[in-house]
Amino acid sequence: MSAETPPTSQPLVSVDGLEKYFWENDSVLDRLFGDEPVAVRAVDGLTFDIHEGETLGLVGESGCGKSTAGETLLRLQEPTDGRVEFDGDNVYDLEGSDLTEFRRDAQVVFQDPFSSLDPRMTIGDIVQQPLDIHDVGPTDERRQRVRDLFERVGLSVDQLDRYPHEFSGGQRQRIGIARALALEPEFLVLDEPTSALDVSVQAQVLNLLADLQDEFDLTYLLISHNLSVIRHICDRVAVMYLGEIVEIGPVEDIFEAPKHPYTEALLASVPRASTDERERDRQTLAGDVPSPRNPPSGCRFRTRCPMVIPPDDLEIDQEDYRAIMNLRERIERRDISLETVGGDEEFEFTDGSIPPADVDAFVDALRERVLDRELPARHAELVDGALAELASTDWDAAGTQLREVYASVCERDRPDLGEDGHPVACHLYADNECETLENVR
Amino acid sequence: MISDRIKSNLSREFRESLLAKVGLVLLVAILIMGLFAPVLATHNPHTTGYFDDDGNAYPPMGVSYDSHQWVDGERVTYTAEPSADHYLGTNNIGQDVFSRLLFGARTSLMVGVFGTGLAVLIGVPFGLVSGYYGGRVDDAMMRVADIMLAFPSLVLALALIGVMGSLTIPIPDPFVFAGVADGMPASTPLPGTVTLVVGLVTWVWFARVARGEAMSIRNEEYVKAARSLGANDREILLKHVLPNSLTPVIVLATIQVAAIILLESSLSYLGFSGTTLSWGYEIQQGQDYLRTAWWVSTVPGIGIVLSVISINLLGDWLRDSLDPNIEGEGGGAG
Amino acid sequence: MTEELLRINGLSTRFFTEQGQVNAVDNFDLRIDRGDVFGIVGESGSGKSVTARSIVDLIESPGEITDGEIWYNEPDLADAVREDRPEAVDGTFVDLRRISPERRRSLRGTSFSMIFQDPESSFNPSLTVGEQIAEAVEVQRRASANPRSTRARTRSEEYSLGSFVLSSFLPSKRYVTEASRERAIELLELVGIPDPVERADEHPHEYSGGMLQRAMIAQALAGEPDVLVADEPTTALDVTIQAQVLDLLDELQSETGMTILLITHNLGVIARMCDRVGVMYAGEIVERGTLEDVFDDHVHPYTEGLLGSIPDIEGEAGRLQPIDGNVPSLLDHEMGDRCHFADRCPNAMEDCLEHPPEYDAEGSNDHAVRCVLAAQEYDERRAIPDGYFDETRPAGDKHVDPEDADEGPTVDEPQRPLEEPGGESP
Repeated sequence: MSAETPPTSQPLVSVDGLEKYFWENDSVLDRLFGDEPVAVRAVDGLTFDIHEGETLGLVGESGCGKSTAGETLLRLQEPTDGRVEFDGDNVYDLEGSDLTEFRRDAQVVFQDPFSSLDPRMTIGDIVQQPLDIHDVGPTDERRQRVRDLFERVGLSVDQLDRYPHEFSGGQRQRIGIARALALEPEFLVLDEPTSALDVSVQAQVLNLLADLQDEFDLTYLLISHNLSVIRHICDRVAVMYLGEIVEIGPVEDIFEAPKHPYTEALLASVPRASTDERERDRQTLAGDVPSPRNPPSGCRFRTRCPMVIPPDDLEIDQEDYRAIMNLRERIERRDISLETVGGDEEFEFTDGSIPPADVDAFVDALRERVLDRELPARHAELVDGALAELASTDWDAAGTQLREVYASVCERDRPDLGEDGHPVACHLYADNECETLENVR
Repeated sequence: MISDRIKSNLSREFRESLLAKVGLVLLVAILIMGLFAPVLATHNPHTTGYFDDDGNAYPPMGVSYDSHQWVDGERVTYTAEPSADHYLGTNNIGQDVFSRLLFGARTSLMVGVFGTGLAVLIGVPFGLVSGYYGGRVDDAMMRVADIMLAFPSLVLALALIGVMGSLTIPIPDPFVFAGVADGMPASTPLPGTVTLVVGLVTWVWFARVARGEAMSIRNEEYVKAARSLGANDREILLKHVLPNSLTPVIVLATIQVAAIILLESSLSYLGFSGTTLSWGYEIQQGQDYLRTAWWVSTVPGIGIVLSVISINLLGDWLRDSLDPNIEGEGGGAG
Repeated sequence: MTEELLRINGLSTRFFTEQGQVNAVDNFDLRIDRGDVFGIVGESGSGKSVTARSIVDLIESPGEITDGEIWYNEPDLADAVREDRPEAVDGTFVDLRRISPERRRSLRGTSFSMIFQDPESSFNPSLTVGEQIAEAVEVQRRASANPRSTRARTRSEEYSLGSFVLSSFLPSKRYVTEASRERAIELLELVGIPDPVERADEHPHEYSGGMLQRAMIAQALAGEPDVLVADEPTTALDVTIQAQVLDLLDELQSETGMTILLITHNLGVIARMCDRVGVMYAGEIVERGTLEDVFDDHVHPYTEGLLGSIPDIEGEAGRLQPIDGNVPSLLDHEMGDRCHFADRCPNAMEDCLEHPPEYDAEGSNDHAVRCVLAAQEYDERRAIPDGYFDETRPAGDKHVDPEDADEGPTVDEPQRPLEEPGGESP
């Protein structure tokens, strides 16, 4: 929203390799029964800088870890690994008065205007709370400050004694913003500040945030799933997928010339409010976001990517390749119910395999079920070979056969974010990737 | 702290619920009985049937083979039927049942309130800390609570009384001191061990409720906001978590008073209360005479039933008024 | 060759709450042609969801449809009803408000189906998705075989307690019939669930949100309905999944030719899906017309404000032009008999103090606006002075309790409570 800010030498916030895992099955009882704890990798290695006076957008779909990243960055949760520097100090090493100062300088505005205000406190007390905690000035001064804040965010001061439930969502969000501003912070994390609001009210709040930033020289980290809001308000944007940043760059670059296939798909998916929306050329992503408990190897987007990279020596159409990769996924997850192949119990499994005479018919029936497109002869043959292994329920062999031919660079290597002005974590843009490729081979 | 909305909910639910009104009337009646027992009582509850100057047992009414004692080689009984002098009759040793009913209400209410208070004082902080911190702390604390729950409360109570012995604390009676209740006992015994024990066996329920509340409140954004403002755990627990978890605690406390009255009655029935001024003890005393003097057991029994019912009715009313989830069920237009 | 399918006249739905009477839908008119995709767009509290539920007859206490006619064009139904209740029939149209409740209910699933915002609460977590869709198939089949029987579900032996107990031991007994199971798998395939054979045997918690939304659509399609009422079908979904579901609805619509009534707050979704649009504000449609009428040639300042509030994803926009003020109160005694938008309207005039009728507007024949600006130019001399409404409008500051949300005017709150009674969709 503000004009282009030239990056100063020293960023205000510098995040380096931030990780936050949550552990499931981690109670004493689970230990007792021998269940291994499972890591949910909510945030998995984030690195980015936020410069003074800019607005960085963190965008991604639900479950990509963007909110966790915001909270961990403010040390509302302890990180699993990584460091966050605020004004040059590592936030996780702060103690005592240094920590108190950080708490004054960095504030947060939450998504849910209903849960972010304590229902049993008057809104005046809510906004005054930060001043009380930090013991700012005498009581009169605090009261006056609260009144000023109320006026600044567009609320009437004669409502100070009311309770939050008497206010609408937009007004509550203003109260939350007033509370965050009470200590005159430098840095605000805005965690989906408008996603619970109606569009007309959202526009009011966005305008307010823009004005406040100009007035108080604030630095924002805006976390949102709403791409229009991100576009409207941010200077730079980081796109997250499954706990990782896949692309980061100036807002125009991200929106006008997205590099990562995920960013492209995300942008294409947003329906535009204009009459030519139905004619717009859209490319929608298939499938769902995989679980962060067991994220895909290599590039995490490869299971849905419409541009997944086939091996160099393989000549194959992208759509055929995508279909084969999806099939491989299912075989490796053992997610095909072989017993029901062919409908009415056509194939008897004895000791896990069916009579050799039936194998061809079985493969035909199975292919019918799991593939919805004709493959070129060469690939059809390879796939049939793998499916034939399933006739003897040999999942491993079927998986191995397919992997040997079709393994992609996208699953072997985790792509790195580059260093330039618009880095992207995708093998399609890897100039320096050859080296690592050599290593693998 | 109590918002207008809660007040309006309370009054609306009260207006709509006949049961809540019945409960309130009953409870107020019982409270008055207990509080003003020395003023309302017609006899000293400890005074047994007495003898006149000639040595005759008085009043020698309702002779029966079941309820009798030997006086000077004669079978007499002191159990009187309800009459103008003894509104609800007398028990087997000639004590006035009506007066004992009033003083019994005192004991029950005192044990109920103090026992619940003790349980709240132990259980709520325990549960809040456990739920707020979560993780290993919660694991350890809740295992302790589970172990407490694994024992039947009556058995646990008996065991504790066995260890500690029956101790009563005499509480001086202000009415007697003020001189408006002559001839009444100068103090009312509070069964201290029983109070302590019922508190110790019921705090777990409060711990569990408070823990559940704390677990959900700690994830509320206003708690995160307070933390990001620099508030420490103690401030957050006292300022946000405690006030917002009180509603279910209040509802539970109401219902627990009733449960504790029942538990106290059971204990005193078994003879462990340390005072004879108790409904449970009275039932036990009267049960041998049920055929001839039904009132001795029945009157305190009705006292127990009515007080438990009235408290539970009020508990339901509180729950319905304070719990938005139950109220919201009717809607469904999203 | 458009043929009218639904004709709604003067529909009013009220909620009777502690705070007073809430006019969630007020004297509402609507025409929908067969095969149309009609969108109703509005903010929370505009009454759009209540409208949808009123049409499908899912209003529950303390709500009540107090007035209005819902004419539904269905010759067979008209023939069947004509004998009993001639007053409820007009040509091939039947007034759904005047037929028996039993017959009305039998239309659910076969004539009208509804899908909701939150698919998770619409499925029973203890049954597989396949079973639940098969159940819908079965219920529809019986209902259409015997339209009078509304007890199709409970009367059948298969649903007795004994068979329920038995079915927990014998997995093979869980589907009512093999045919309904096959139909369920067919439906799952139709809505684009990959590997429907495997997925049919999974429980709802094994589905992702997008897949559950697809499954709910499958369930709604079980009775091959004429009208699909979709109430914020993609609000709970991520954009990439939303795009999938919208594509799916679009495909299904062009394949089956069914009519869709789409309720949403998202103007992008409207633009993506709809032929015709109605913009709702305070319980009534303030502007209606084709997509072009409403998006490009709109007259009503509210429509203007709504479109101006959306940040543009395509290009750097200047400052947003929001609508001042807050969502209006729908409490009867606070509404007054003026244009409900006048207090937030930048162009409010003295004429707006009277409730405006619906004016025809330029553009297509269907373009109509409930605003005096359609009939006259804005005249600054007649403008209402600033602050005029401040005293007469307590509503803006006093929002209705969130906890009373589901009985009050905030019925369209984006985060709907989870206690949505399940199984309403068939």
